[in-house]
Amino acid sequence: MADPVVVVALLLVAGSATLAVAVRDPVRQALVLSVLGVVLAVLFTVLQAPDVGLSQLAVGSAVTPLLLLLTVRKVRRRGQRKGRER
Amino acid sequence: MNRRFRLWLVAVGSAGLAALLVAACLELPDFGGAWHPYGDRAVRASLDRHTANTVASVNFDQRAFDTLGEMTILFAAVLGCVVLLRQTRDEHRARPEPADVEPPVRRYALIVLPVALLTGLYVIAHGQLSPGGGFQGGVVAATALHLLYLGADYRALERIRPVGLYEVGDAAAACAYLVLGLAGVLAGTAFLANTLLPYGTFNTLSSGGTVPLLNAAIGMEVACAVVVLLARFLDQAVEIEEESRA
Amino acid sequence: MNGWLLAAAVTLGGGLTATLWGVTTGPLGRRVVAQNLATAVACPGLLLLSQAYERPAYVDLALVLAVLGPVGTLVFARLLSDELTGHPPRAWWPTWTAAALGTAVVLALCAVTAPGRATVKLLVTGALLVGGNVVAGRALTGGIRGVRGG
Repeated sequence: MADPVVVVALLLVAGSATLAVAVRDPVRQALVLSVLGVVLAVLFTVLQAPDVGLSQLAVGSAVTPLLLLLTVRKVRRRGQRKGRER
Repeated sequence: MNRRFRLWLVAVGSAGLAALLVAACLELPDFGGAWHPYGDRAVRASLDRHTANTVASVNFDQRAFDTLGEMTILFAAVLGCVVLLRQTRDEHRARPEPADVEPPVRRYALIVLPVALLTGLYVIAHGQLSPGGGFQGGVVAATALHLLYLGADYRALERIRPVGLYEVGDAAAACAYLVLGLAGVLAGTAFLANTLLPYGTFNTLSSGGTVPLLNAAIGMEVACAVVVLLARFLDQAVEIEEESRA
Repeated sequence: MNGWLLAAAVTLGGGLTATLWGVTTGPLGRRVVAQNLATAVACPGLLLLSQAYERPAYVDLALVLAVLGPVGTLVFARLLSDELTGHPPRAWWPTWTAAALGTAVVLALCAVTAPGRATVKLLVTGALLVGGNVVAGRALTGGIRGVRGG
């Protein structure tokens, strides 16, 4: 009965995961990754696993982008400093 | 052991693993079928112990020992981050300048902060009744605090976040989980066995024996761990700068 | 397949496909707006799924997404403010369309739910979702600027 929704969710996950790999810049990758997190949560919900979906939402929507962007910022600042010293 | 031999070793090992995995997958119940041997037993056990959410019952009762392992992994990971991202001798702290945040955004952050904190506590407290639990709620609560950084500035966050206290809280919550497990041994049953407390009325907040307590311990552990982890990352990205070597 | 499930499939399939297209193409400003849109589309979708499966407990997922989704967008607005101040994204119509979608879904679900705590939870989710999205949209279009080091 719920099969079409499962197919839609699976296709979305496959698409967004592929695009997350295809995008090369880390900042843009973080954006795609956060959308992938939401899509995964939808997939878990339609597969009747709301606990897992909730974990995915909790971690994927704010904490993961924050960790990634803070790391990018640190690395970039270090790069700028090195560039200035040269 | 030369390179060629190592490659062969990996190939043989991987082939064996792949064969076993494929064999195991062929024996799995069909996708979307009605036959769930493990699920039926888990649901029966969780109903016996008056836990409405079977996943919580599996995590904190039937497989509570596995959760202890997962908690230890998170604890060790955060400990590793704290050690790796500490301030080294050739680094100094620079005062970050406050951001220029528009009033609506700032107001939103200050209004949503308590709401998000409450949502986190709600998810932890209702772990044994509805989807959610200590891990999910802990992450939500920890994220809520960081709205102060996003909507106001880093110094506002630092004022409500004494990292030392959260480190102590992290360790205390991990100990609480262990102590609850050992209490079972002292009471004459087994480590982490759910026999200490009455199971209570089905589908109420206090049902499920030790499940809500273990849930709360995990909630506190995860919330503190995420706060400490983000504190280290924020320190590195915002405050700590390398000394330029003269 | 009941009507709620069909509505959920259409909302999620259409909305998230559009979001994916937006988040992987174009300039950075457009991508962050699309990221904000993901929350605005997925949250009504999750509400519709909870109604379709007749499981009120699934509303918790939409609630958590409504709380944390805009926070995630604020993370991008805050830490990418330097890149965004040069070319602030101008995308009010997707934000308002998504807000209208969220409002419509919440009102429709309130209409079929018996009044009580469930209705209050739905209304809180809706308010957080719409308010969060509009504020996050504003934060992206120059609501946070001048962050140096902070």
